Amino acid sequence: MSNAHPDLDLLTEYTAGSLPLTQSACISLHISQCTRCQRIAGQLADLGACLFEAQEPSTVGDAQLDAVLARLDEEPPLSYAKASKDIGNTPAVLQRLMRGDFSDLSWKNIGSALRISYLQTGDPQHELAIYHFKAGGRIPEHTHRGSEMTLILQGGFSDADGSYHKGDFLVRRQGDVHAPTALQSEDCICLVVLDAPLKFTDWKFRWMNPFLKLRTTA
Amino acid sequence: MMIVTDNFDDETESQVASKEKRTDEWSECLTLVGQNGDRAAFTRLFRHFAPLMKAFALSGSTLSANNADELVQEVMIKVWQKAGAYNAEKAAASTWIYTIARNSRTDLFRRLQKFDTPLSADDIAGSQESEEAFMMLHQKRGRDRIRTLISGLPSDQAQILAKVYMEGKSHSEVAGELDIPLGTVKSRVRLALQKLQIRFEE
Repeated sequence: MSNAHPDLDLLTEYTAGSLPLTQSACISLHISQCTRCQRIAGQLADLGACLFEAQEPSTVGDAQLDAVLARLDEEPPLSYAKASKDIGNTPAVLQRLMRGDFSDLSWKNIGSALRISYLQTGDPQHELAIYHFKAGGRIPEHTHRGSEMTLILQGGFSDADGSYHKGDFLVRRQGDVHAPTALQSEDCICLVVLDAPLKFTDWKFRWMNPFLKLRTTA
Repeated sequence: MMIVTDNFDDETESQVASKEKRTDEWSECLTLVGQNGDRAAFTRLFRHFAPLMKAFALSGSTLSANNADELVQEVMIKVWQKAGAYNAEKAAASTWIYTIARNSRTDLFRRLQKFDTPLSADDIAGSQESEEAFMMLHQKRGRDRIRTLISGLPSDQAQILAKVYMEGKSHSEVAGELDIPLGTVKSRVRLALQKLQIRFEE
């Protein structure tokens, strides 16, 4: 079980359905492998259901009921038959956004230790990407112009605040500066959601900043 | 708290028990729909849940009445189609149905904003139930406790929870709308969750 979790504010917004799509996907992937957050999200969903049932009901006429009854024999849309199992290293949610495995993605190299593959989600305000760090690779020190959510899908990394492993979920806020290093034992793969581009503070990499536009479409 | 009986006065022991039984009634109906395609059971679910769904669709009042009616139809048809996957031991029918209504409303908001995505809210935030028996028992107790405690919340906290859960607004949207600091919204939510004894740690 992981040690780094979304905070209560995020879990509340997640269960209320008010988070942006990409952030919601990232948190959902954490919850699917974290019994602690499953338990909290379960209680929050029950809270939502209690509030739902406590509403003043609106009027729905019999015509609506008849219309629904008449449609019950329609074939369900194909999209319900989603792959609900993880295939290889690819979690089920991500399978909708990519073909094949992580090795089949198209990657963009950022320095020698990091490559990034951007996923197309349709979310206009957020970038969802897979980051692949080489084992032991250090990411140049950078700061955040907005918020960054990270879920570790494989391996782990450490920074000045601690070390993190598969299933861990982290949020960096605007102005946080860090320089993560992948663990020595294996390559690290993360799912990352950004709402503003990164900004390298390490002088050797600052030249890249103008190129780090937010990629909301691949 | 909306009690699902024809007449209700003060909550006596027997009425609390009957509310409990009637809560189970929805789970029984949903199970009948899932296992036997029982249209009478579905009709009972419709009469109870469709008016709540319409209220849910209209809360926050960003959807038109037409959109709300379409949403009710869409959700009820999904309930019918997905009922086979429902397991009464893992989730209360109300939570299961609320989750579908919430996700469908989120998808509808996105469609209306011409937000084109291969992901549906059900893909991302479908019900994530635990398989473990002790957690199911834990959840059942938690749900009963929330039901009992929710009517005792101070009005400012109840108002925030309604905006967050029923109107589907983010904490910062709620702060903007009520013209109060974001930190106040977060602390009211946290205080409410504490009062409802929602547990975060072991």
